Amino acid sequence: MAASAVRGAVALRTSVGRPVAFVRKIPWTAASSELREHFAQFGHVRKCIVPFDKDTGFHRGMGWIQFSSEEELQNALQQENHVIDGVKCLILFFS
Amino acid sequence: MAALLRPARWLLRAGAVPGLPLPLRLLAGGPGRPRVALCLPAACPGPAAGGLLSQARLYAIAAEKKNYLQEEPTSSHRRNASQFDWALMRLDNSVRRTGRIPKTLLQKVFDNTCHSGSPGGNQALLLLRSCGSLLPELKLSERTEFAHRIWDKLQKLGTVYDVSHYNALLKVYLQNEYKFSPTDFLAKMEEANIQPNRVTYQRLIAAYCNVGDIEGASKILGFMKTKDLPVTEAVFSALVTGHARAGDMENAENILTVMKEAGIEPGPDTYLALLNAYAEKGDIDHVKQTLEKVEKSDLYLMDRDLFQIIFSFSKAGYPQYVSEILEKITYERRYIPDAMNLILLLVTEKLEDTALQILLACPISREDGLNDFGSFFLRHCVTMDTPVEKLKHYCKKLKDAQMHTSALQFTLQCALLANKPDLAKALMNALKEEGFPVRTHYFWPLLVGYQKEKNVQGVIEILKGMHEMGVNPDQETYVNYVFPCFDSVKSVRAVLQENGCLPESNVFSQAELKSEAVNGNLDYILSFLESNTLPFSFTSLRGSLILGFRRSMNINLWSKITELLYKDGRYCQEPLGPTEAVGYFLYNLIDSMSDSEVQAKEEHLRQYFHQLKEMNVKIPENIYRGIRNLLDNYHVPELIKTMQLTISDLESTLEKLKAENQPVGDVLKQLILMLCSEENMQKALELKAKYESDMAVGGYAALINLCCRHDNAEDALNLKQEFDRLDSSAVLDTNKYVGLVKVLGKHGKLQDAINILKEMKEKDVLIKDATVLSFFHILNGAALRGETETVQQLHEAIVTLGLAKPSTTISSPLVTLYLEKDDLPTALEVAIDCHKKYKILPRIHDVLCKLIEKGETDLIQKAMDFVSQEQGEMTMLYDLFFAFLQTGNYKEAKKIIETPGIRARPTRLQWFCDRCISSNQVETLEKLVELTQKLFECDRDQLYYNLLKIYKINGDWQRADAVWNKMQEENIIPRGKTLRLLAEILRNSNQEVPFDVPELWDEDEKHSLDSSPLPEESNLQKDLLNACQWKKNKDAYNIFLKAQNRNVVFNGETYNSLIKLLLTKDNFTQAMQVKDFAETHIKGFTLNDAASSLLIITQVRRDYLKEALTTLKTALDLEQIPSRIAVTRLIQACALKGDLESIQAIQKMVNGLEDSIGLSNMVFINNIALAQIKNNNIDVAIENIENMLTSGNQTMEPQYFGLAYLFRKVIEEQLEPAVEKISIMAERLANQFAVYKPVTDLFLQLVDSGKVDDARALLQRCGAIAEQTPIFLVFCIRSSRRRGKAPALKSLLELIPELTEKEEAYTSIMKSYVLDNDVVSAKALYENLTAKNMKLNDLFLKRYAVFLKNAGESVPFTEPPESFEFYAKQLKESRENPL
Repeated sequence: MAASAVRGAVALRTSVGRPVAFVRKIPWTAASSELREHFAQFGHVRKCIVPFDKDTGFHRGMGWIQFSSEEELQNALQQENHVIDGVKCLILFFS
Repeated sequence: MAALLRPARWLLRAGAVPGLPLPLRLLAGGPGRPRVALCLPAACPGPAAGGLLSQARLYAIAAEKKNYLQEEPTSSHRRNASQFDWALMRLDNSVRRTGRIPKTLLQKVFDNTCHSGSPGGNQALLLLRSCGSLLPELKLSERTEFAHRIWDKLQKLGTVYDVSHYNALLKVYLQNEYKFSPTDFLAKMEEANIQPNRVTYQRLIAAYCNVGDIEGASKILGFMKTKDLPVTEAVFSALVTGHARAGDMENAENILTVMKEAGIEPGPDTYLALLNAYAEKGDIDHVKQTLEKVEKSDLYLMDRDLFQIIFSFSKAGYPQYVSEILEKITYERRYIPDAMNLILLLVTEKLEDTALQILLACPISREDGLNDFGSFFLRHCVTMDTPVEKLKHYCKKLKDAQMHTSALQFTLQCALLANKPDLAKALMNALKEEGFPVRTHYFWPLLVGYQKEKNVQGVIEILKGMHEMGVNPDQETYVNYVFPCFDSVKSVRAVLQENGCLPESNVFSQAELKSEAVNGNLDYILSFLESNTLPFSFTSLRGSLILGFRRSMNINLWSKITELLYKDGRYCQEPLGPTEAVGYFLYNLIDSMSDSEVQAKEEHLRQYFHQLKEMNVKIPENIYRGIRNLLDNYHVPELIKTMQLTISDLESTLEKLKAENQPVGDVLKQLILMLCSEENMQKALELKAKYESDMAVGGYAALINLCCRHDNAEDALNLKQEFDRLDSSAVLDTNKYVGLVKVLGKHGKLQDAINILKEMKEKDVLIKDATVLSFFHILNGAALRGETETVQQLHEAIVTLGLAKPSTTISSPLVTLYLEKDDLPTALEVAIDCHKKYKILPRIHDVLCKLIEKGETDLIQKAMDFVSQEQGEMTMLYDLFFAFLQTGNYKEAKKIIETPGIRARPTRLQWFCDRCISSNQVETLEKLVELTQKLFECDRDQLYYNLLKIYKINGDWQRADAVWNKMQEENIIPRGKTLRLLAEILRNSNQEVPFDVPELWDEDEKHSLDSSPLPEESNLQKDLLNACQWKKNKDAYNIFLKAQNRNVVFNGETYNSLIKLLLTKDNFTQAMQVKDFAETHIKGFTLNDAASSLLIITQVRRDYLKEALTTLKTALDLEQIPSRIAVTRLIQACALKGDLESIQAIQKMVNGLEDSIGLSNMVFINNIALAQIKNNNIDVAIENIENMLTSGNQTMEPQYFGLAYLFRKVIEEQLEPAVEKISIMAERLANQFAVYKPVTDLFLQLVDSGKVDDARALLQRCGAIAEQTPIFLVFCIRSSRRRGKAPALKSLLELIPELTEKEEAYTSIMKSYVLDNDVVSAKALYENLTAKNMKLNDLFLKRYAVFLKNAGESVPFTEPPESFEFYAKQLKESRENPL
């Protein structure tokens, strides 16, 4: 899990200071396009990463969303519940 | 020798039995609990305690072992206990939460138990107990297999089974309906010499009854009667089942009457047995009647019992009656785990429909719709291969009942996890039918499954399946999950084509391309791009192409591909043009590389850029600038030059535009910027002259800056004037202004420079810290060049205009001017002048250093007078101190810092430390730390921290290690950061860290450096307590004196703290002074427990025994509890004086408090004997001891009867007659009374005092000593903690060679050898161990390896790579808390 977290973080390696949200508890049925679709309502999603474990073919339930602006990120953070495929995901500010 | 010793061992064992500690004796004799054990699958009663005889024997052995170890509980004892707690907690939690134990959990606990070495009996019981109905997910036969596996493995590991284990195994057999022969089972017990007890017989009866064998059951029943064992309800319940299963319901029912006749009322268990019997026959009427009967009686059946009836009905093939029983269930919350357990059991038994029925009946809160219930059921159905049609139906039911929101998806996930492709496909189809999306990544786990087996056909099937379902594999599917199954990407295309599943779209080609790119196969990429006919987006390829470029170093291919992408119309069409697309590509390529990579590939990149230039590939200016910045950051300036390709292009464009009379502003600016970045001032100025009328502000700004960089004051000034004429309100950026000031100042155009400064002020240019620093550099540069006028005027302007506030930094060039000229009087004069004007004293330290070097005493005097007058004496002293330190006049420095009344100034000290560190003056800093040792209020830790910092820079671990010792010497408590830094230095040099490295702890760092310099009166108490906390006894005492002078009285606690500190530091007189003051100033002041104890210790140390005795009496009268060590020291001191009366007085005083103090009776026994011996009453002493050990009413178990202290003192004091008589006594106790502890202690003390011959003689006379392993182990472990014990342990090993086989012994002994630097013995021990093929743990090997390395020897094996802490932790965890 740590490895994929690192990989994800590296993918957005200059994420410090960029509007990035960290999402946990993503249901297994959703992949990056579903995540992207959900978060598009808050703004323009520049990058969306849900790393998959190539050993299992499943992702590990977490991902990163990079918005175009801080404001869009705040929009997303302000919404209390993020339900994707009927499952409540946790969203955190990633710093 | 072993053969000789055998009788002694037997004797010992016989002697040990009466010495059972009380709790164990109770356990051993405890009769079976009267409660009847239930025989229900779902119930799991605690293990029944067993019969008297056999258990007593087993516990006796256990107790024998324990008694010794309890003297000093070794880690293995605790380890087992905590291992048990952990296992129990895990299993118990699982049962409580879910009603069951997952197989994986049990396996894990089992593995860990095995790993822990020798699992205790309780652990074995716990594991065995879990193998029955608590594993509903396992088939009955698998559960029993599991139990057998545990049984055999633990036996092999040395677990001793008693009757409780056999009974637990029987229970598991019953719960699992395991068919076995009860007679064989009994035979097995007999073979193991285990007596069956009542519970055993009861369960054997149940076993017979379960198969309807009444005859067998009767045989055992008869046997029980002959043994006069009571027949309990459990037996009757079993008989009900037995008769029923034999087909005789009438007799089954009759049992209830028989019971009543025997005086036993049928309880719920009996009725449940009867109910189950009816249920197995499908007799719902009788079940209902019986239930009604029970209801009317005062008996009560729990949900759990009703679940049992449901199970009986279902298993016997009467599921139609389940609903009638379900109606009677109350569904109390606490039975939910039981319900789950039953549901899983039913699924295991392939009775899924009934399972669902029960699941749906469960009252689950369905309010928020987000908490799904029933996942466990679905998962288990998948595991048990429930047909897909059923599963789909169940999902629908669960959804309709609003129990589960995504039942189908969850089931699909289970199928994927269990790698069941057919089921998964069917479920995906179902999803599709229900209108849910089926997504590409749903297929990935299946592909992974086939990929692992390299099953190409399987992969093809999945791809076909995807196609059928209308799901198109995307690039990721191919690249990550399909291609790895094949040997090469090329072969994939062929195989897919063959099987007709090559998609028509270009996704596959892109995937191929991506895959090849990632592999660095650029040939393929090029040929593909050349032959490709499909429209293709370059951006989609960018990421993989970058990876490909970085993996292949074929620059020609790099260039060709780039050129193709740039020039070929098929690529980079939309939305970016080729310049931008390729520009971004280049930017991303460089950006993706690390600086070291760029540096390593600099030559390649140079060629690449060169070739691109040749090919006339152009990129936009802004992207070029971005790339240039990147390269700048990577420190490859040479590459930047290669990048610039287009100056001549721009020139021709410019001319062309001009000729066509078109606006040239943009191109001109671009060209000027480019010339500026090429530092081509000549050409840039010519260009400006040529196109003067087209020039804009931006171009001028760049040109001005360029001229400043080229030190061209003339043109810079001219340009600036033209710039102003063009737009007088235009503002340059700060750096350009600063550049102008610099160059104008340098060329003596002072007025112009000052004008620029004025303009900066007028136009309100942003002044940053960096700007001020630039001003300093301008002034400093001028000062170093000796330009007095420039420095003074510019400084004046800057400060008066307010562009920078006067500070020691900005004004220091004024002094530097004269320091450089060695004009010390003027330098001092200027510094003093600065102070008069700005209240700052720049470079006074350097001025002083120079004055000292030159021996200008008069000027020094002048400087000092001024400083002390203006800034105070203290500042002057510090200035002088630092100057002496800096110039190496340590003696003078010492005199200064020892001036009475001087105190620590943290900020100044830190300033000097930083200075030393930045100029790496190790010796100066060392001297500073050394000389400030006694400085009042000096934060020693902080100073040592600085010292460590400089050692770290120099990688000097030896000196860092010395700091660690010095700090201990000074009794400094290091902060966390200091310890961490020290640990870091040691680790960096591969040294062992001799302490626990504290975790990062914020608060630790917050301890402020600058505590208020002058403690306010009100703060005195706080300061005093602070000083106490930091163990600064002198400071603390001084504060006390100060307060005393000012008539400030603190509270009692404060005085107690101070007294404690003073006593710890052995400042007895001062402590007494404080005590007197407190007693005379605070009414009812008394010392607290801790202070009293310390006082006793100090008094004993000073041989004031009478006073110490009084202190003890006072403390006890105040109902205080003195520390064990204080009382012990006092007793010991009295004993050595032969003062028997005092010892007996103390014994009376502390009577009843021994436990609170933690005082062992042995302290008195040892010391009374010692006192008697000192008084020449040897015989009395010996008689007393012998009486205590042999009389009927022993006060002390022989195993605790440690006389080591007495023996040691007698040997140390060379009381020969006493030694002789004691030896005789010890041997007599051993030979006649089988009490071996004293003789072993004596033996060890002889060894420890180096009297090896005496020890050997004793061993020969009394061979049983060699058998006292536990005592030896305690001795080894204790000895290994102190230095200088290696010889003793070595002798012990020679005398008792079999000790090497004990892990505790050999690890301790190795530790001791290492501690004492005994390489030869360490090597011998290691060889001895390896010769015996002992499995040595990593910590041992690490210790040995590091030891050998430090001794300059080669290590005969691979040194474990991690640190000591790592292995110590690992070992500790593997013993105590394995996970």
